[in-house]
Amino acid sequence: MGVPFEALLPYAIITGMFGVTGAGLYVVKRFANEGKKPRWNRDLWDRVMMERDLRITGTMRGQSSNHLAPPGFDVSKPWKIEKRIF
Amino acid sequence: MAQRDPQFNQHVLVDTTPMPDHIPKVEEIGATSAFLSSAAYFIGDRCKAFNDDFMKCKDEANGRGEIECLKEGRKVTRCAASVIKDINTHCLDQFKAHADCLENNNHYLFECRKAEVSLNSCIFDKLGLKKTIPGAPENQVPVHLRPKQKYAQYPGPQY
Repeated sequence: MGVPFEALLPYAIITGMFGVTGAGLYVVKRFANEGKKPRWNRDLWDRVMMERDLRITGTMRGQSSNHLAPPGFDVSKPWKIEKRIF
Repeated sequence: MAQRDPQFNQHVLVDTTPMPDHIPKVEEIGATSAFLSSAAYFIGDRCKAFNDDFMKCKDEANGRGEIECLKEGRKVTRCAASVIKDINTHCLDQFKAHADCLENNNHYLFECRKAEVSLNSCIFDKLGLKKTIPGAPENQVPVHLRPKQKYAQYPGPQY
């Protein structure tokens, strides 16, 4: 006793739509991370180091192996400030 | 410090005034996070004396270490820069391969043992620096030398 193919069409649509969102998220995340896999579970140290990478290379995920920093690096440190309390 | 509620804000201040002249200059390190974590154990191997000296100075400065330990800090920076420069000169390909692997695997060292083994052997041949994990148990194989990495995406033999 065969199953009519019309009964399987919704499952094909469901699978296809989940596939579209998955592939789309993959592409968008790769694009946002300059072709690399996204970082995850970052702690404070990782975030500080990524900010330092941004100051050295100028892009969020760029890497550089130079042993000397580019000129201006030693005066580009952002200091976290807050409004006066008193 | 008095107790107060933390304030949420996003303000940053970039002060472009250079350091005054009476503070001696040092060239900052330009390697980024993946390359630094890749080279970390070799920096520790060559610069252990300078690093320990700096930490001892900070420990004994009673909270004024940022000012009084500038000399030791410059030695630490120069030594680390010399290690990075040597690795760049002699083992650039392996260095880049390991850093790329780290960048694609959330900077997890256990995902990149294959690249790490070739980097370690190159650096040991050319520079004589060896990766040792401080404080690891003596009677066990160190975690970076075990062929199987339990938590890696591919936990089987890595190389």
